[in-house]
Amino acid sequence: MKNISFTPRMLLTAGLLTLGVIIAAVPKNTTKPYKLSAKQILDELKSGTQYIEPEQVAQMLVEKDPFLQLIDTRPQNEFEKFSLPGAINVPFDAILSDEQAELFDQNVRTFVLYGNGTTQANEAWMLLRQLGYNNINVLRGGLNYWAEAILNPNPPAGITSNDDLARYNFRKGAGQALGGGEQPAGNDVKPTGGQKAPVQPPKGKKKKVAGGCS
Amino acid sequence: MGPLVVNEIISDNTNLLLAFFIGIAFGFVLEQGGFSSSRKLAGVFYGYDTVVLKVFFTGAVTAALGLLFFSLFGWIDLSFVYVNETFLHSAILGGVIMGVGFIMGGYCPGTSFCGAAIGKIDAMVFIVGLFIGVFLFAEGYPLYEKLYKAGYMGSPRISEFFGITEGLFTLLMIIAAVLMFWGAEWAEKKFPREEY
Repeated sequence: MKNISFTPRMLLTAGLLTLGVIIAAVPKNTTKPYKLSAKQILDELKSGTQYIEPEQVAQMLVEKDPFLQLIDTRPQNEFEKFSLPGAINVPFDAILSDEQAELFDQNVRTFVLYGNGTTQANEAWMLLRQLGYNNINVLRGGLNYWAEAILNPNPPAGITSNDDLARYNFRKGAGQALGGGEQPAGNDVKPTGGQKAPVQPPKGKKKKVAGGCS
Repeated sequence: MGPLVVNEIISDNTNLLLAFFIGIAFGFVLEQGGFSSSRKLAGVFYGYDTVVLKVFFTGAVTAALGLLFFSLFGWIDLSFVYVNETFLHSAILGGVIMGVGFIMGGYCPGTSFCGAAIGKIDAMVFIVGLFIGVFLFAEGYPLYEKLYKAGYMGSPRISEFFGITEGLFTLLMIIAAVLMFWGAEWAEKKFPREEY
């Protein structure tokens, strides 16, 4: 067997080709800070894609959607007094900590931010979107609207469309399932036309979850 | 992390200072590599000395690998790296003029200053020619403006243009560079010159 001696040229060639193969094979690094430009953020804000309707969240909660993750942006003491089922507390001032980075840096779960209103949740949404995290949503109206719409819904007054009735019945059903309101069973407002009103989110309210390739 | 200026890790003035030192080092390396000799540069066209080709492609391969690995490790954000705008027609025409000047004069703009710094008269003449060219271009600009701005393509990267990943393009460039290195060495043996 002959001894093969490597000249510096051959070593250099082999080294360069190895590095080239490595860089061609690894996926591109896309985890970079500040991925969205100010203009992209503005476009998303204008179109309001960050909002998710309370009905949709309630539906996901009732169905125990494993991908839903509610994020409570209020301070800890408020969170301990009341929070939505399954929510975790990420106070607004801790939104940029390293633990939160690990929490948000993924593409599987649907995050829904909420506070008492929407201001703070929106601010958190902007920061998180600017950092390039996906599937971040804001609960429309925050907890105040949630209490009004889901936990203690008012029956629609007067002559209303079937959609309104369906929404009311859904809200009431969901509210009871989620531990709000003290409505006696069996007083469903029946929609006209003999249609059954199952617990379902109203039509046309299902919003596409922002993120992914958007 | 990077780029340092864009992320305000260093100031604009520090950036200029760094550029000054890098420029000095660049000139020093050019001179030490023999680039201040016009014969060495012309040699690449005749095949007796291909060090220029090797240096340029080593530079390109090193920079590409360095940037991509830095990006992979999260040390630099490539979307913030400035890419010159491409005007296709003037790029082609400029490349031809530069190549002709290169082989006739034996210098490129950078190496001519290198040569002038160590007292080469041909390099100084080349610099005079360079300024005459700049003057003619500036004075005659309205004549060439249309051609100068034709074929605008924005700031494309070759990998985007061909629709392949940056890593794959770099691998192809490395293969091409290595083949050229071996071809260049072969040419040096085939067309040797005793003294130049």
